Amino acid sequence: MKPESPSNLQRVLSDGKFAVTAECGPPRGADLEIIRRKGELLRGHADAVNVTDNQTAIVRMSSIAACVHLSAMGLEPVMQMVTRDRNRIALQSDILGAYSLGIRNILCLSGDHQTFGSQPDAMNVFDIDSVNLVHMVKVMKTDGKDMSGFDLVSSPRMFIGAAANPFADPFEYRVIRLAKKIDAGADFIQTQCVYNLDRFKEWMRLAREEGLTEKVHILAGITPLKSEGMAKYMAKKVAGMDVPDSVIKRMGGVPKGKAAEKGLDICLETIAALREIKGVHGIHIMAIEWEEIVGRIVETAGLSPRPVTA
Amino acid sequence: MIVGKQKSIAEIREIVLPYKKLLVLGCGTCVKTCFAGGEDEVATLSSALRLSFKKDGRSIYIEELTVERQCEDEFIREAAVAISKNTAVLSLACGAGVQAIARRFANVPVLPGVNTTFIGVLEKQGLFTEECLGCGDCQLAVFGGVCPVSRCAKKLQNGPCGGSRNGKCEINPDTDCAWQQIITRLTALGQLDNLRKYNPPKDWRTSHAGGPRKLVREDHVI
Amino acid sequence: MIKKYKPQITLFHCINAFDNCASLPVSTGGAFELKPVKMACSSMVKDVFLLRAFEAGADAVAVFVCPEGQCRYVEGNIRAKKRVNFVKNLLDEIGLSGRRLSLHNVECGDTENAVRILQQVLSDINDMGPSPAK
Repeated sequence: MKPESPSNLQRVLSDGKFAVTAECGPPRGADLEIIRRKGELLRGHADAVNVTDNQTAIVRMSSIAACVHLSAMGLEPVMQMVTRDRNRIALQSDILGAYSLGIRNILCLSGDHQTFGSQPDAMNVFDIDSVNLVHMVKVMKTDGKDMSGFDLVSSPRMFIGAAANPFADPFEYRVIRLAKKIDAGADFIQTQCVYNLDRFKEWMRLAREEGLTEKVHILAGITPLKSEGMAKYMAKKVAGMDVPDSVIKRMGGVPKGKAAEKGLDICLETIAALREIKGVHGIHIMAIEWEEIVGRIVETAGLSPRPVTA
Repeated sequence: MIVGKQKSIAEIREIVLPYKKLLVLGCGTCVKTCFAGGEDEVATLSSALRLSFKKDGRSIYIEELTVERQCEDEFIREAAVAISKNTAVLSLACGAGVQAIARRFANVPVLPGVNTTFIGVLEKQGLFTEECLGCGDCQLAVFGGVCPVSRCAKKLQNGPCGGSRNGKCEINPDTDCAWQQIITRLTALGQLDNLRKYNPPKDWRTSHAGGPRKLVREDHVI
Repeated sequence: MIKKYKPQITLFHCINAFDNCASLPVSTGGAFELKPVKMACSSMVKDVFLLRAFEAGADAVAVFVCPEGQCRYVEGNIRAKKRVNFVKNLLDEIGLSGRRLSLHNVECGDTENAVRILQQVLSDINDMGPSPAK
């Protein structure tokens, strides 16, 4: 890849095509094979693959390393980066390093609080927040400067992503926050998993009213449910998740062996509905430890084959 | 005020064990208000320690004293005689008080009996909440008088994270989401536009990140 | 000759709940030694007083307060209950057993009940043995 060439994801989106990204969680260990296996399952089904950064504050193989492994396989990674674990010095340094390794997409996050993870006794950093991180990457890209104002010898030209959660409170503020992320420099947005379509549509309406959908590519989050138990767990235990009772009921309304199929049905209905919403430019599939389902979702949803942009 | 919590009897026992004559020294300001180290706590802890040692057939001599503030020389002086008569001091002041005593009595071991926890307020009787991290650059004017540095678990400067739900913080359902409170306050004040403005990364130099801080008031230095 | 052990009970009592120590079936020749401490309200009991009773040799400390809702000073008995619970935890921490400290709601004039409670306290001491911090 030429250093200046835009990412595949960027090209898909700027060509006005409906994008598909998928998530890949690195292993809790140093095993390259696990990344390769997950990468193979996703090959051809997504325009780019998000690699999480110690998600839920559990130590895993670093996002940068896993991104490089995926790149070597010919897949395009989206490097997720959280401000929980690194201060601004480390963040900038890692972004320079990641770009030099061929990583072209970044998703800027604050990160799950460490009290949720396996090492709640850890000190967190939170030197800057996710909006600051977006701005920092943007300034590196457009002004070629680091945060101190130093002119970088060569600037990382990342395609910049940020997250949005239309389901968290306070609802009225969620669109203001989206606007702040866009103003700070976000090129694309990946949202929290959508189960509550009504609330998502309302959020999108407000975003359109503010003219935000003209400025940014919104990719709606999709997580296929495997069981009624998973639906209930997500509803109750996962921070910032909105799983309506109707969805839980549908998952519980079928025999256990059929639950995953029902989850897939719901997922496909959601995707169909999302494609009808003005301003939704793609989906981001987070099939948690269920990467093998991604291909089926993409194909059944009629999103296959993925565009070739190179 | 500074809020603190007395250490467990077991831990205090452990650290005073080598000393035969102990001064339990209280502080009559912040830690008194939060029931960690005032006169009453000095008396209760001393009694508990004596019982604890007696139970094990050991003996310890304990002297009890409480001064107004352990962080000011004027009051520290009042403890000088008592300190000289004992082999160690168990200070029930905050960490600042413990160190102020230690610095002025070079040859006396000064031990902490309290864990200093935070700068906070007495929310209601028996309930203390953290309100300030002492970052050295107060921006409460922007945030409607609710501090995102001390009261948001992620110190977010640009709005609530995705875990804010029903006004509560994702890390603990008993903790209010500071950002929900900021938004509620600013809405009531008609200043919600404050939040549309981008807040740049915080300059932490004025905080502890810049190393131990010092305040010099030249007009008061003789 | 070893001095004969006689259990010692310190009784903190609110005078509105109970004020008839003379009527209690204890004498110098009785089964236990009783040290009564009168209080105008049970809220006057402080953590340190309870501990000092043990320092002074008590094997058990009992606190008599008015029934809940009947405190003359509204919530004195509730405060006493909270403090007693705090000190019980402290006694457990020390290894003296929180069981040695107990709080009882006593109806004014119910001497019979007061006697029953003290007998129970005495029987508890007999279970636990003398205070190890005597």
